[in-house]
Amino acid sequence: MIISENVSLIYPDKTQALFDVNLEIKPGELVYITGPSGSGKTSFLKLLMGMEFPTSGSLSVLGETINKSNYGNIQNLRRKIGPVFQEFKLIQGRTALENVMMGMRFLGIKPKLMKEQAHEALEKVGLGLKKYSKVENLSWGESQRVAIARAVARKPLLILADEPTGNLDYDNAINILKLLKSFREEDITVIITTHATHLINNEKDAMFINVYKGRITAERKGLAV
Amino acid sequence: MKTFLYNIGYFFKETGRIIRLNILSNIFSIIGTGLILFLLGLVITGSDIGNHLVNMLNEEAEINGYFTKDISDSDRNELVEKIGKIYGVRSARLVNEDEAKKKMEDILGEEAKILELFKENPFEAFVEIRINVDEMENILDNVKNMKGIEYVRDNREVLEKIKDITYAFKVLGYLLIAAVGITTLIILSHMIRQGIYNNREQINTLRLLGSPGAFIGFPYVLTGILLTLLGGILAALSVVLLINTAYEGIGSTVLFLPLPSKNDLIDKMIILIPSLSFILGLMGSLFGLSSIRKK
Repeated sequence: MIISENVSLIYPDKTQALFDVNLEIKPGELVYITGPSGSGKTSFLKLLMGMEFPTSGSLSVLGETINKSNYGNIQNLRRKIGPVFQEFKLIQGRTALENVMMGMRFLGIKPKLMKEQAHEALEKVGLGLKKYSKVENLSWGESQRVAIARAVARKPLLILADEPTGNLDYDNAINILKLLKSFREEDITVIITTHATHLINNEKDAMFINVYKGRITAERKGLAV
Repeated sequence: MKTFLYNIGYFFKETGRIIRLNILSNIFSIIGTGLILFLLGLVITGSDIGNHLVNMLNEEAEINGYFTKDISDSDRNELVEKIGKIYGVRSARLVNEDEAKKKMEDILGEEAKILELFKENPFEAFVEIRINVDEMENILDNVKNMKGIEYVRDNREVLEKIKDITYAFKVLGYLLIAAVGITTLIILSHMIRQGIYNNREQINTLRLLGSPGAFIGFPYVLTGILLTLLGGILAALSVVLLINTAYEGIGSTVLFLPLPSKNDLIDKMIILIPSLSFILGLMGSLFGLSSIRKK
């Protein structure tokens, strides 16, 4: 699913974001990437989405090699991923439903089925009553849920959630994590970055990746593959 | 293809949204494109009328050969027959003195009374030669050197001036087409880039979600085509209105002017200007879209 071998990432301004990352994530795993702000968590997610390319080493995600010369396949890869961006990236002026459908329109899904999947995803994240609300009128937590609905409605193989609990109160944060974890039951690999380790300390069945100053240590707990 | 078919409604909705997002600027673009295409329509119409005029004159082009004083009637007839066989001569006909006078009376109209001052018919017989203008040089050389021909009168200067005017019209037309094309492309591509800039966040999000460039760009191409087409329709209607008005005015005042059929001109403008606007719209949009290619 994801194989990283000696991957390093240096930005054009010479900032080294990741050092020699070696890890393997298997299908259906729940993965938490933790570490303080600026440690390299988001950089790693950017690599997984093909938003950045490894400076050295090799990285394969869902069978696609991430490198500059493979740009044509990066769009194919992105279609298999359900991203939940830190700042949501919802399209203003559109309803929650339109936003969810926007992420599916180019996947070759029939319009009727697309609508059904979008409705279903919004129901699942608890926004059944706000489907037709414009996203700018939704709260932070609700916007987060729309972003999650957009990610899962696409029936992805991999969900990448970047700091989904940021700016949320404790209860809402726990609920969002529960929601994201639930997609694992559909055989979706879920990767979540967070610096709020207190929310996941009791997790029994997951892979924990700690990033500190660009270096990674990984540990598996519980029944994970 | 399947994806495009499933999303036709979405593409049109997006196009409407892109246009509404910058409505005033887009209205000005339509008017600007319309005005440019209107100018183009005028030049094409002018060029058509000029061409028609030259063609008509070409068909009517004739030279007149005047006989020497001592030529007999039988020699004259023989000469006319001989001239008729020269390559490029459409017809050669003897015009006798009486017919020559009649022709002049027709030309002078009410002023023909002046001819009554002559006691004898002052006009000479001549051979009226209808020719193919392209062969004029050759025919003139042949006729001038024939025994029994005193001199040849041609309307070469008039024909050549008209030809020059038509040529100038054509050159002007080509230049204007090029200018219109480039201007429209610049206006449109700028407009499309502006639209892309206004929607950059949405475009970026769609890219991150894996949307193909063609899917992102299609509503912008539709926008470009639609705006230019509206400009084209506006221009075509204005040109048609102008042709109608001009024909009504000219028709009643300059009856002898051999104008092309009004309906033919109108039909041509109705098809040509919107088609041209469609092509320019498509090209301008694609040109503008090059800015949203992969980073």
